[in-house]
Amino acid sequence: MKSTRATQEPVWVRYTLLTIGLSFLFFFLGLPLLAVFVEALAQGVPVYIEALKEPETASAIWLTVGIALAVLPFNIVFGVAAAWAIAKFEFKGKSLLITLIDLPFAVSPVVAGLIFILLFGSQGTFGEWLSEHDIKIIFAVPGMILATLFITFPFIARELIPLMQAQGKDEEEAAVSLGASGWQMFIRVTLPNIKWGLLYGVILSNARAMGEFGAVSVVSGHIRGETNTLPLHVEILYNEYNAIGAFAAASILALLALVTLVAKTIVEWRMKKETEMLNTVLAPEKT
Amino acid sequence: MAAKTHRVLPGFGLALGYTLVYLSLLILLPLGGLILKASELGFGQIMDIALGERSLAAFRVTFGASFLAAAVNAFFGLIVAWILVRYPFPGKRFVDALVDLPFALPTAVAGITLATLYAGNGWLGQFIEPLGFKVAYTPWGIVVALTFITLPFVVRTLQPVIEDIETEVEEAAASLGASRWQTFVKVIFPAIFPALLTGFALAFARAVGEYGSVIFIAGNLPLISEITPLLIISKLEQYDVLGATALAVVMLGLSFLLLLSVNLLQWWTANRHKNSEPLEVAAAKASGGAQ
Amino acid sequence: MSIEIRNISKRFGNFVALDNINLDIPTGELVALLGPSGCGKTTLLRIIAGMESADGGEVLFSGEDATHLHAREREVGFVFQHYALFRHMTVFENVAFGLRVKPRKERPSDAEIKRRVMELLSLVQLDWLADRYPSQLSGGQRQRIALARALAVEPKVLLLDEPFGALDTKVRKELRRWLRRLHDDMHISSVFVTHDQEEALEVADRVVVMNHGRIEQIGSPDEVYSSPASPFVYQFLGNVNVFHSRQQGAYAEVERGEVAEKATAFVRPHDIDITHQPSEDGLQAKVQHVHPIGPVVRIELLHGSEIIEVELSRERHELLQLTVGQAVWFRPRQMRVFGTDTSLRSTPEKQAFLF
Repeated sequence: MKSTRATQEPVWVRYTLLTIGLSFLFFFLGLPLLAVFVEALAQGVPVYIEALKEPETASAIWLTVGIALAVLPFNIVFGVAAAWAIAKFEFKGKSLLITLIDLPFAVSPVVAGLIFILLFGSQGTFGEWLSEHDIKIIFAVPGMILATLFITFPFIARELIPLMQAQGKDEEEAAVSLGASGWQMFIRVTLPNIKWGLLYGVILSNARAMGEFGAVSVVSGHIRGETNTLPLHVEILYNEYNAIGAFAAASILALLALVTLVAKTIVEWRMKKETEMLNTVLAPEKT
Repeated sequence: MAAKTHRVLPGFGLALGYTLVYLSLLILLPLGGLILKASELGFGQIMDIALGERSLAAFRVTFGASFLAAAVNAFFGLIVAWILVRYPFPGKRFVDALVDLPFALPTAVAGITLATLYAGNGWLGQFIEPLGFKVAYTPWGIVVALTFITLPFVVRTLQPVIEDIETEVEEAAASLGASRWQTFVKVIFPAIFPALLTGFALAFARAVGEYGSVIFIAGNLPLISEITPLLIISKLEQYDVLGATALAVVMLGLSFLLLLSVNLLQWWTANRHKNSEPLEVAAAKASGGAQ
Repeated sequence: MSIEIRNISKRFGNFVALDNINLDIPTGELVALLGPSGCGKTTLLRIIAGMESADGGEVLFSGEDATHLHAREREVGFVFQHYALFRHMTVFENVAFGLRVKPRKERPSDAEIKRRVMELLSLVQLDWLADRYPSQLSGGQRQRIALARALAVEPKVLLLDEPFGALDTKVRKELRRWLRRLHDDMHISSVFVTHDQEEALEVADRVVVMNHGRIEQIGSPDEVYSSPASPFVYQFLGNVNVFHSRQQGAYAEVERGEVAEKATAFVRPHDIDITHQPSEDGLQAKVQHVHPIGPVVRIELLHGSEIIEVELSRERHELLQLTVGQAVWFRPRQMRVFGTDTSLRSTPEKQAFLF
């Protein structure tokens, strides 16, 4: 039919906006993503495979995975604990606490690295004590883990707090009133309710943990084969004009990003489906 | 404690205690260390370092480029959010998921890729440079990198708000004789403006601290294309810890101001024309209304 | 302005929202579109307003084709169920909106806008709220502002979608009366959608009863209530006892004639008499519940396995002194029979004269 609904733009406006928006996304997102893989494969697949087999690249991959795995349990426990306290209880200073959790988003990664140098570096507050006891934190893996923790700890909490607030505490109270212990309540009632949100947070924080550059760069010391994560290794190879090597390593990280996006989309889809299902089941009768 | 008797659910003390201890060790202690270190300098000296020629130039580049990038994203982000919510087109779900790429792609990867794309012989650079416009290794490169990094903020803040606009309100405007453009300017835009501003502020805050993607494309010439985070690192590498600390404190202060303004903005948005929804409306919605 | 609706149809996917609707709304009438959720009444209203386009058929305003006119060109005032007030504008600006968006040539001066808005606000008795925001108002106040806003552009037709649906009973009653008065003062045609039969009967000049995308009956409130055209209308307007003649030996008489094998009898609860004495044309039943509700007493009788609702006046009940478990006789004073084979469309074949 010719007549349009009252709330639609004229056709030419729609097509203009679509063209502008999609071109913007193409030039700023699509093209760079494509370029990573094209550059990595510029000299053929064998050269690409060779570049990845490079022992330093391989060890960078393992260090990246290792740090991400080390950080994960801390982030999960913190995220759940913080969300539990904030979402299910009322207490003074709650909004201050939430702001504090948001803080790493406002701190430059470089500053995040710097503060650990000031604490644990050779001239830092605890520097002397650490060197006396022969403990290395800065320019070593523990420092990198700390910096990554600082950058990534809010992700899970940020995801869980609104989710758990929205869910309220009726179900938990019901569980307790039915005689469940704290642990039983958590495992049987709370966890099933938050599992997708938790997974979502894990995916986001993991992507950031594996990809973090600035903060880790400051505390790592760039010791090849020892404190080089994959993103740092990309920088080194690139600065040595080893474009193939740099983009080969970058392609691994880009693949990781794509996997992250897919996983994130799937989880989002599941969460949406679950809330829709709950809404239809629990919705009051229509009048 | 009296309050304790009201808490039916277990684990409050444990959860809050753990949260506070963890935050203190991971956040407050290191930040305290920074402040302590900075206090060795005193306010005057910090200002001297921050207002030195090179630092001042770095701040100008950092904040200028961040502002431009956030503005670019505010404009295009509004269009992208609008088409993602309102218009059907093939591959929409894919495009929607792709918007988050900058969050998922490590900044270093973004940095080397953008540098390669915009370099004189790159896919884009070869077309742009003959026009007399150099992007790579100039401050414009910084704007490009920051635009990429902060692209999702405006889109993701706007999307739910645009989804929430009741079609009824737009229909009301149409039935009162407003043209589509008038409806947008007078009804839709005021409703999404706070979210647009929030997205802008978030993008700006993120851009100011960004390091990884920028250093590859910026050229990093002192006074021209050197950003503050890079200056902090180069001071560190020259063992000028105090200098780095001074800059870091200033950055931190400015970041806090930004974070504070974002929070105020959100608070203002939530409380603007504060509406405790009258009971009958809430009740009607809860019961599903009629038709 | 009169509205004519010609053969309007509308589907949403497989769902038929409107099935070949024809309706005339003469100038100055207040018409209620009445029906249950999903009967298509709101869709019809939105098609009249130009917010939805029909799949087929025409809408005529004062005899002129308006089918393809854009909503903003129809000069129709629309009041939304949830008001759809602009929340970032004050009450004043909400009402002024329609005047401010007029093309420059037609736009009144600021002073004129102010005068007209304040006039409308005093008409809806809310001039003292001009500077408030919609969120600071109660539901009833919002509804009146929404009305004032719709009236500001001097529409030829006023369309209201469940105008009182979201309000509590007391405010609703007040606003109903007020709407009726307003309509009479403004001399415009109004159409409102409701699922509340009491509301339709009380306010409207004419009631259009809809079901499953079709019009069941059009008539004055009295017509649709006292001579329903179909079993649906009978059941939708007020309480009714349904007797399926087959199962009821005593209804043999009803089965005579061409309606033959299956017929259903409808009896309103207040059209049933109860007596203690057995009567020839009555049926026996047992009193199961006695609920005094305001001015009436509702009795539930158990007849066989069926429950029959009866409404008695308080006086009548005091005379009868019914107690639970008591055996009584009942007979309908008035009933209506529809053949079930021609189920929805059947016209009453005859009045049952015997019970």
